[in-house]
Amino acid sequence: MAETPNDFHATKNTIGGPDDGLQVDPGQETQTLKFYFTPRVGLAGEVERLKSENPHAKSSTYLPDLADALKARFGDAIGEVTLYAGETTVYVDRASIREVCRALRMEMGFDYLSDMGTIDRFTEEDRFEVFYNLLNLKARQRLRLKVRVDEEDAVVPSVMSIWRAADWHEREAWDMMGITFDGHPDLRRLYMPEDFEYHPARKEFPTLGIPGSLPLPPNEPDGPLTMDPFARAHGDMPKQ
Amino acid sequence: MAAIPSNVPVAHAAAPGDDENLFTFWPRHNAAIYKALADKYTHIETPASGDGAASGDGSMGEPEVVTPDDKRRAEWREEHSATTDPLESSMILNLGPQHPATHGALRVVVQLDGETIERCLLDVGYLHRGIEKLAEVKTYQEFMPYTDRMDYMSPYSNNVAWCLAVEKLCGIEAPERAQWLRTIGCELARISSHLLWAGTMVMDAGALSVFLWTFKYREEIYSLFDEIAGARFTVSHSRIGGLAFDFSDTALAMIRAFCDDFERNLADWRKLLDRNRIWIDRNMGVGVVSYEDAIAEGYTGPSLRASGVEYDVRLFEPYLVYDKLDFDIPMRTEGDSLARYFVRVEEMQQSINIIRQCLDRLPSGPVRVDNAKAAYPSKDEVYYSMEGMIHDFMMTDTGVAPPKGAECYHAVESPKGELGFFLASDGTGSPWRVKMNTPSYSNLQGLESMMEGAMVGDTVVLIGSIDPVIGDSDK
Repeated sequence: MAETPNDFHATKNTIGGPDDGLQVDPGQETQTLKFYFTPRVGLAGEVERLKSENPHAKSSTYLPDLADALKARFGDAIGEVTLYAGETTVYVDRASIREVCRALRMEMGFDYLSDMGTIDRFTEEDRFEVFYNLLNLKARQRLRLKVRVDEEDAVVPSVMSIWRAADWHEREAWDMMGITFDGHPDLRRLYMPEDFEYHPARKEFPTLGIPGSLPLPPNEPDGPLTMDPFARAHGDMPKQ
Repeated sequence: MAAIPSNVPVAHAAAPGDDENLFTFWPRHNAAIYKALADKYTHIETPASGDGAASGDGSMGEPEVVTPDDKRRAEWREEHSATTDPLESSMILNLGPQHPATHGALRVVVQLDGETIERCLLDVGYLHRGIEKLAEVKTYQEFMPYTDRMDYMSPYSNNVAWCLAVEKLCGIEAPERAQWLRTIGCELARISSHLLWAGTMVMDAGALSVFLWTFKYREEIYSLFDEIAGARFTVSHSRIGGLAFDFSDTALAMIRAFCDDFERNLADWRKLLDRNRIWIDRNMGVGVVSYEDAIAEGYTGPSLRASGVEYDVRLFEPYLVYDKLDFDIPMRTEGDSLARYFVRVEEMQQSINIIRQCLDRLPSGPVRVDNAKAAYPSKDEVYYSMEGMIHDFMMTDTGVAPPKGAECYHAVESPKGELGFFLASDGTGSPWRVKMNTPSYSNLQGLESMMEGAMVGDTVVLIGSIDPVIGDSDK
């Protein structure tokens, strides 16, 4: 296969685990370690096995009947139904999320909003996901709904009129991920300052922060602000 | 540029209208803060009166679930709306963030009419550490010690919650003995957390002696954790796939002795408080949350169970060995501050029962999965075999790697309520997204409406009664 060292490096990234055989650079006569250097991603059958054989799977989260009932009632508004670790996740169309939630709350007994959050899928279509963890306290069931929205139009109907507990969760989602909730009465920032311009939970926001976005106060009364506390890490080398 | 007089402390002297150059403290933020302070109702404004409301009309848009408390509050607002206050006699009071009674860096802004709280808003952004973002650049095992710092009053529960969530994501099952030991640790953490709550709550209400007593027993639990895990406060004892190491015989004996001693003392404290006239007057009927409201507001833990909602993750979705144990979930229906006290005190008694059962029925065996791809090898292997050392490095470097696209949510009943982790994997050794569902966050959210209509003197009691930890409400 690879003749030159350059070709070898070009193909290296596509090689996963030990199943791909021994990789020896033909230019080098060195001994290659036979340990698993990298975790094997997407091992065939692994996901399927974990879906059904997870030791932590609970009956309270496995609700295929409920997903079918939702499908029968809302038709196309209900998208894919996924299962992992015995947890049913129902994808709901954004336009009908409030209707679905209302039906779940008023008629199907899901009276408690346990958690709500966002996922940034970054490079995929419909970049953001908002998920709702709902609880049926009487029937001991736990259901997860998911809504996908695009980056260009990251607006989701607020469910605060159905579960008041969604208030801070929606504010947090706005603050950290930049998803707005249509109908939320008071969509202020929760953690970051009011005038902060970014949404830090997004994947493109650097872990060290954006230089100058939140400067540190001066060390002495009339001293300068520290505009970038991690200047060196951001590639700014001090002048010699 | 105007010359700054030398006698002016520049960073603090600036006021609106002064020379712009005086702003040296975060110029843009300063401007925003002054803009905010210019309006008396800034942080308390009703959404309808502000210009920044997203929905326009400012109302919640027809609340579809109306609880009895909603009706009470609506009537309250009707009575105390701005039109009935032509003299603008209402006052804004900032409590916190740095006051012992606000339990961490919690800022409570209340709008008062005389001694009555008309409106309350909370500011929880002071301790924002971006811990969810941090988790995305750590491996699963590396992040475990960070969970100690979330609800730092019960680090053991947080460790276990995190490890259980990762184990669910990867399909790992910890050995039997590890599960029993984890249960003991979690219940010790519950006692420790409730002890701190009891001490500070009674101190907030004006008595100091109980604080000293409970801290004596907290010290003993710290010594227990020192013997168990080698650390008194941030234990970091749980590992993915089991525990770091087994409990020593000394530790087990110490736990047994602690149970006996503590149970006697708990009974003594209850003799002091349960029928104490001052304590009851201070708490009874204060901060009442109805059954419907507790559900609608999303309270969790003892605050929820004090309102008669029987939701406890140990009962709802048994994890560890809770389905094999015989214990009660303490409940109250009054929903007031006193009910929350009773629920927590009785939970401590139940925890003692659980620990005793665990000690009696503790099976023998390993405390960590014997699979180098799922858990750390034991130190014997690491020090005396090359494979062990390599596996140790690999667990540290990449650790477990759940399949791409895997997502799960696992919750435990931490002392303060439901503590859950939603994990999403991209197939590497670091989580793609971690969303924490922390109990203090849910409870603090409810505090906003609980405070409306209460007296300002009850503020500290109300804050204390829901037992918030700000490290826990931070994401």
